[in-house]
Amino acid sequence: MVRVMRSLPYTIMTLPAVVLFFYFHTLPALQGMFYSFTNWNGFGPVNFIGLKNYIGLFQDPQVLHSYAFTFEFAIVTTILVNILSLMIALALNSRIKFSKTFKAIYFLPYVLSTLIVGFIFNYIFSNVIPQVAQQLHIIALTQNILGTGFAWVGIVIVAAWQGAAFNTILYLAGLQTIPEDVYEASSIDGASPWINFWQITFPLIAPFFTINMVLAAKTYLQVFDQIVALTNGGPGEATQSVTFVIYTNGLGGGEFAYQSANSVVYLIVLVTVALIQIRILQRREMQF
Amino acid sequence: MVRTKYNWLATVFLIVGAVFILFPMYMTIMVAIKSPFELAQSLLGIPARIFWSNFTQAISITHYGQTFGNSFFITFFAVVLTILTNSMVAYAIARNMHSWIFKGMYYYFFSAMFVPFPIIMLPLVRQMSAIGLADSIGLIILYVVYGLSFNVFVYIGYLRSIPLELEEAAWVDGAGRWTIFWRIIFPLLGPMNATVGILTALWAWNDFLLPLVMLSDPNQYTLPLVQYAFQSQYSTNYNLAFASYLMALLPMVVVYVVFQRWIINGVTKGAIK
Amino acid sequence: MYRKIVTSGMIALSIAATGCGQSAAPSPSSNPAPSTASSGSGAPVKLEFLQNKPEVVGEWNHLIAVFEKRNPGITVQQINPPNTDTVLQADVAKGQVPDVIAMGADATYIAMAKNGIFKSLSGSSELSKVSSAYTKMLEDEVGKTTPYALPYTVNAVPVIYNVTLFKKYHLTVPTTWNQFMAEANRVKRAGGTPFYNGFKDAWTLAVSWNPLAANEEGSKFFANLKAGKASFAKDLPKAAARMQQFVSLGQPNQFGVDYNDANTAFANGKSVFYVQGIWTLPVIRQANPHITLSTFVFPATNRPAQTKMVSGVDSLLAIANSGNAAKEKAAMKFIDFLLERPNASAYASIAGLFSTVKGVQPTDIAIKPLQPWIDKGRVVDFPDHYYPPAMAAGNQYESILQGALSKKASPQSLLQQLDNLYQQSASHQ
Repeated sequence: MVRVMRSLPYTIMTLPAVVLFFYFHTLPALQGMFYSFTNWNGFGPVNFIGLKNYIGLFQDPQVLHSYAFTFEFAIVTTILVNILSLMIALALNSRIKFSKTFKAIYFLPYVLSTLIVGFIFNYIFSNVIPQVAQQLHIIALTQNILGTGFAWVGIVIVAAWQGAAFNTILYLAGLQTIPEDVYEASSIDGASPWINFWQITFPLIAPFFTINMVLAAKTYLQVFDQIVALTNGGPGEATQSVTFVIYTNGLGGGEFAYQSANSVVYLIVLVTVALIQIRILQRREMQF
Repeated sequence: MVRTKYNWLATVFLIVGAVFILFPMYMTIMVAIKSPFELAQSLLGIPARIFWSNFTQAISITHYGQTFGNSFFITFFAVVLTILTNSMVAYAIARNMHSWIFKGMYYYFFSAMFVPFPIIMLPLVRQMSAIGLADSIGLIILYVVYGLSFNVFVYIGYLRSIPLELEEAAWVDGAGRWTIFWRIIFPLLGPMNATVGILTALWAWNDFLLPLVMLSDPNQYTLPLVQYAFQSQYSTNYNLAFASYLMALLPMVVVYVVFQRWIINGVTKGAIK
Repeated sequence: MYRKIVTSGMIALSIAATGCGQSAAPSPSSNPAPSTASSGSGAPVKLEFLQNKPEVVGEWNHLIAVFEKRNPGITVQQINPPNTDTVLQADVAKGQVPDVIAMGADATYIAMAKNGIFKSLSGSSELSKVSSAYTKMLEDEVGKTTPYALPYTVNAVPVIYNVTLFKKYHLTVPTTWNQFMAEANRVKRAGGTPFYNGFKDAWTLAVSWNPLAANEEGSKFFANLKAGKASFAKDLPKAAARMQQFVSLGQPNQFGVDYNDANTAFANGKSVFYVQGIWTLPVIRQANPHITLSTFVFPATNRPAQTKMVSGVDSLLAIANSGNAAKEKAAMKFIDFLLERPNASAYASIAGLFSTVKGVQPTDIAIKPLQPWIDKGRVVDFPDHYYPPAMAAGNQYESILQGALSKKASPQSLLQQLDNLYQQSASHQ
C-alpha cells in the first residue's frame, strides 16, 4: 500500500546510477571476461580458445607465486595496520596534550599520492639508510633492503606508513561514538583499562573493526602502486603481486587474454575472501 | 580517576609515531630546497639558504600552472557530483534494505570494489573513446560512478544511525520523498559528505592509472602523470625531482589542513546526534 | 620509468604511402622544402608525435620548432607519455594512434607492426637514405619482409670505462673474455671496484646477457628453439656461467642500486668499468661533466675474430595507418626533415647514439672505437627481440636473471628457469 507510493521516488533516485554503473563498469568487466576465453593480445584477431587460459594459469609458476606473495603480504599488512591504527586511535582518544596536532599529523600520509610516497621511500631505502648505516658501521643495513630477500618488508613498511591513517580515522570515529558515561560507570566498578577495552570499547567499535578489516584486506590484496614505485616486482619475481602481474604481463607482455583470465580468477578469490570476512566478523559484532 | 590526568604513555607513543611519520616529509623538504652540491655535503641538515631554482625550474618544466588547473578541474567536479548523487543513491537503498531489489543493488555496487581494474581497462578505454569521452569529462564521470561502490557502503553505515521517526513525521506532514531527502537527510549527512568529499578529492587528485590510460591530450595531463614522466626525465637530479614532488603534494596538504578539523568535528557531531 | 631506455629505445615513424595499398609514396621530398614563403595550401595540419625517451624531450622540441618554422601549415605536438607501452595500447583501443611515432623496437612495436597499426613503407624513397642493414633488422624482428618503420638511431652494448681510472690501474683494452676477467680481477686485487651495476632495475641485467647469449647461440637458435631442438640449458651454458662470473665482480650492494644511482656512482668514479648501452653516456656526463669516457666492444668470447657487437635500433620512425592523406603527407614531410643530415646528427649526438642516416658520423669521441664494427657489419641484434612477447616484455626474463643471480643459483638452474618461461610464454600467446 504505502510502500508502493513510497518506492517510486526511490526508484528514480537509484535507477540512473544502476544503469550508468552497469555501462561504465559491469559492461567492460563482462567484455574482459569474454576475452579471457580468447587469445586476444589487445589488438589483432580474436580467436576463441575455450578454457586454455584458465588451465594454463594453474600450471604457471609465476602466477602461483604471485598469489602466494600477495596473500602473505596482505595478511601481514592488514594485521599490522589494524593493530597500529587501533593503538593510535586509542591514544588519540585518550586525554593527551596537542591532540589536534597529533590527529593532523597522523592523517597526513593519507592525503599524499602513493606513487610519490613510494618514490620518496625508495630514496630512503636506497640512499639514506645505507649511507647512515655505513657511517655508523651497521653492516646489516648497508644493503638496500629492496634488493634483498626482505624486499617485502620494505613494501609492508611503506604500505603501513601510509595506510594506517585511514583506518585510524575510522577507529577514532568509532571510539567517539562511545559516550563518556559508559566508562564512568565501569570506572566506578574499578575495572582495569585492559578489561575496559575488551569488555566495553572493543564490542562497541566492532562494526568499525569489520569495515577496517574488510577494506584493509581488499586494499592490500590489490597492492600495486607501492610495488611499481619501490621494487618493480623484484628482486626476481619475489615481490610480484597478482595485480602487478596482471597489469605488466597483460598490457606490456601481450598476454591480455591470458591475464584477463587471471583477473577473473582473482575476482572470484577477492569476493570469496570478503564474504568470508564479513560472515565471520559480523557474527562477533554487536547488533545495531 | 585516571581520565582526569593527561595520559603520558599515550603521549610518548604518539610522539614516537609522529617522528616516524614526519621524517620522510622533513627529508623531502630538505632535499627539495638544497642544491646538488649541498645534498652531497649533508643529507638531512638545514641548508644555509634555500635553493629556489629547483622550484622555478620544476615549475617551468612541468607546466605547473596548467597541470594544477587540470587536476583541480577534475577533482572539483568529481567531488561535487559525487556528494550530490551518491548520497541520494545511498539514501534510497538504505531505506529499502528490506526489499531484495535494493539489497541486490547494495551488494552489486559493493562487490564491484573487488573487480581488479586491469580486467576492465582496455574494454573501458575503447568504450569511452567510442562515445567521445576519453578526456577529463569522462574521467569525472568515472570517478562519480565508480565512487558508488565505496560511498554507498559508507553512507548506509551512517544512515542507519539516523532515526526514522524524523522522516515519518515529515511524511505525515505531507512532505515528499525528495523534499525529505534534500531538506532533512542531506543536511544531516554533513559529516559523511565531508568524509566522502575528502576521500573523493584524494582519489581524483592522486590517481595515476586511470588518467594515464584515459587522457590522450598532453594538455589535459594531471599532476601525478607529469610527476611520473618528470621522475624519469630528471632522474639524476634528486633535488629537482623532490622539489617537483613537493609541489605536487602541497596543494592537497593545504586543503587537508583546512578541512581536517571539519571532518573530525563533523564526525563527532554526527555521532552525538 | 622502469624499463625506459632498455635494450631498445627506438623511434618508429612508420612512413605512410599516400594511398592505402602499395604504391611508391609520391614522396614530398621531390618538391623541395616549401620554405617560409609558400604557406601551406589548405587547412593547417596538426600532427601528434609520440616519442618514448624522456631524456630527449628538449631536443625533440627544438627539432619540432625548426620544422614548424619551415612548414607553416603543419604543427607538431610532442607526446612523451610516462608509460609508452600502456598509452599505445590504450591509443590503439581508442583508434587514435599518434600520427608519427618514435619508439624502441620492443615487443609493443613488434606486436603493433604485425597487426597493421603502422603504414607500410615499401617503395618509399626515404628507405634509401638510411642503413639497409638496420631496416632489414626491423623487418626480421616483425617477421615480415615489409618495412613498417625506418631505423633512425642505433645503439650498441659496449663496456664503458673511466679513462682516468683505466690508466691508474695500467689496463689495456681486452679482446677476449678471459683477458677481460683478468683485468677486472686485477682491479679488485688492487682494492678497486671493477664493475658498478644497477641491478635493482631488472632490465639492466639484460645489457650483459644479450652479448653473452648472442655470441654463443648461433643464428639458428630461435628456429631450433621453436622446433624443440634447442634449449637455453643445452645451448647457452657458457653465457650463464659468464653472467655469474661477471656478477661476482660487481659492487657488494649491486641488487639494491637502481639504474639512475648506478649511473651517478660510475660518473663519480666508483668503478673502472660500466657495462651499459651507449644511451647511458649523456646521462653519465650529466652527472659529472668532467669525466673522460671511452668504450670497447663487450668481449663476450675467447675468439676475438668471431666476437660480434650487440647493436639494435634505438629509435625507429613509424607512421600510423590512419587513412588521412593530408596527415600522412605531413608526417612524411616531418620524417624527411628528421632525415636531413644536420638534424639526424644533432639528434644522435644529444641522445648519445649512432645515426642510421648515410653520411652522418658520430661526434662523441667515446663511441668512436665502436664505429668500425658498425661499418663492417660485425653486429648482431639483441636476441631478446626474438623472444616471445610474453617473455621479453614486462621484464619477464630479466626478472629471472635477477632472481637467480641475486640468490646465487647455479647456471643450470638459471637456464632451466628460462626454458620454463619460454615454454609458458610460447604456450599462451
